[in-house]
Amino acid sequence: MSEAALDTAASAPAGGAVRRPMPDAILALGLIAVVTIAWELAIRLFSVPTFVLPAPSAIIRTLIDSRARLAGAAVSTAVEISVGFVLASLTGIVIALLIVRFERFGRALYPLIVLFQNVPKVALAPIFILWFGFDLAPKVLLIVVIAFFPVTIDMLAGLQSVEPSFVALMQSVGASRGKILMRVRIPHSLPHLMAGLKVAITFSVIGAIVGEFAGANQGLGYVIEFASTQLDTPLIFAALIVVSVLGLAFYYVVELAERILVPWAPKFDTYRRVV
Amino acid sequence: MTTALSVVQSLSTASTPSAAPAHIDARNIAVDFVVEGRRHRVLSGINLAVPKGNFVSLIGPSGCGKSTLLKVLAGLINPTEGQVTVDGIPPRQAAKRRVIGLAFQEATLLPWKNALENAAFLLQSADDNVSKADAMAKAAAMLKLVDLEGAEGKMPSQLSGGMRQRVAIARALALDPQVLLMDEPFGALDAITREEMSRCLLDIWERTGKTVVLVTHSIDEAVFLSREVHVMGTNPARIVETLPITLAMPRNDDTFAEPAFKTAEKRLRSLLFESKRRPG
Repeated sequence: MSEAALDTAASAPAGGAVRRPMPDAILALGLIAVVTIAWELAIRLFSVPTFVLPAPSAIIRTLIDSRARLAGAAVSTAVEISVGFVLASLTGIVIALLIVRFERFGRALYPLIVLFQNVPKVALAPIFILWFGFDLAPKVLLIVVIAFFPVTIDMLAGLQSVEPSFVALMQSVGASRGKILMRVRIPHSLPHLMAGLKVAITFSVIGAIVGEFAGANQGLGYVIEFASTQLDTPLIFAALIVVSVLGLAFYYVVELAERILVPWAPKFDTYRRVV
Repeated sequence: MTTALSVVQSLSTASTPSAAPAHIDARNIAVDFVVEGRRHRVLSGINLAVPKGNFVSLIGPSGCGKSTLLKVLAGLINPTEGQVTVDGIPPRQAAKRRVIGLAFQEATLLPWKNALENAAFLLQSADDNVSKADAMAKAAAMLKLVDLEGAEGKMPSQLSGGMRQRVAIARALALDPQVLLMDEPFGALDAITREEMSRCLLDIWERTGKTVVLVTHSIDEAVFLSREVHVMGTNPARIVETLPITLAMPRNDDTFAEPAFKTAEKRLRSLLFESKRRPG
């Protein structure tokens, strides 16, 4: 309790106002409301056809009417994202650790990974479908190849950015490479890793949707693909909203994990800093 | 060759303790760095003998190689030429046996550990046989010695620059080293904190009797703390003069007002600027 209070006191600028998150949230909701109303009015005013751009009211109606279908699709997509994200994170972490632990191997592997990163991953989706069919596997694999990269890069940056003088200090008392890795480099890399995981989770959502576009019989990407063939634009938008909410929820789960696991991570409050 | 010599030396140390060789003994040290395929001599012909329990400073213009010399003494850099022994053995071995304690300009505390855990960390890393409780007890005692009692549970982000540096010094002291090597440990601190830290260091030295080598570019600090100041010059770096500081112990506020303090300060100032004017 007192420690948390001290922490806030330390991170707040001298003489700065106490944090009040509520007004920000209200402002954001207000902005959404204004845009929605303007959108609704514009559609009615210019009588835009629904299949071109549906009014918010039409989208909301679809969200309610197709809720069972959307919920079912959201569950399949969420499963793909979860499994894919976990495997992508593990892959990213293991590659980063291998590169740091085995320096020569790392020097050989690193350019290959960068090269691989420049392959357009989306184009791999049809191949994965061809190899693994329409089930979970091709989507998960696509997520892994899309999302491991930021994890590897950020974790590497964290592992390698330990103060050289501190490493010298550890070496001088005879600490082995392995010990320095376990006790210093890995804990030091955790804030960086969490930053990579936050990028990876958003990539995972993209990976799942792209995988479903390429070939699926369930999931939100499949709903979007199917709705577009039917010119059911309101359903496309409804599915997009569900995807966005799902992505946001996943993102905040990762951020929550960061706050619990890495409480010493610098808190990026960029918006406030700019203001 | 190196090992053979050092064995001979340590044997002679053991058999004839009355000969009392210097606690830190550097003979004819030269260090070359290779930068972009070209060899640069950054240290040349350094002879340094620090008797046990002495406090010496290395002072010189920036880039004169004083940090490099300290790293050689700490075993972090192998000299291209010459011999170094600390407590009669090569510095790398001495460091492993926890004879050497190190402190740098940056405190480099681990942000996920509190002051006490940071102070205990190096001791725990050095020796798996030291129990956690022992390491913590040792660290707590050292934090007390650097006047940080009560701040054990604070995280580095909650400590001031001076307090962080105190934790770093406590971390070095927790190894219970005989030798303390410090590379501009107060260089990043403001003038008032610096002076506080100087007194703290003097106090530690008087109480523990460790052999201390301090790299600094503060003339005041060097005179106030040391028994001997080695002035270094550039191109290539070498020791241009060794100035004994004869000020009485214990030193305190009055020390600054003593004529001998002023004389030493003046002498050092002229040496430093002379060495800058006439390099090589």
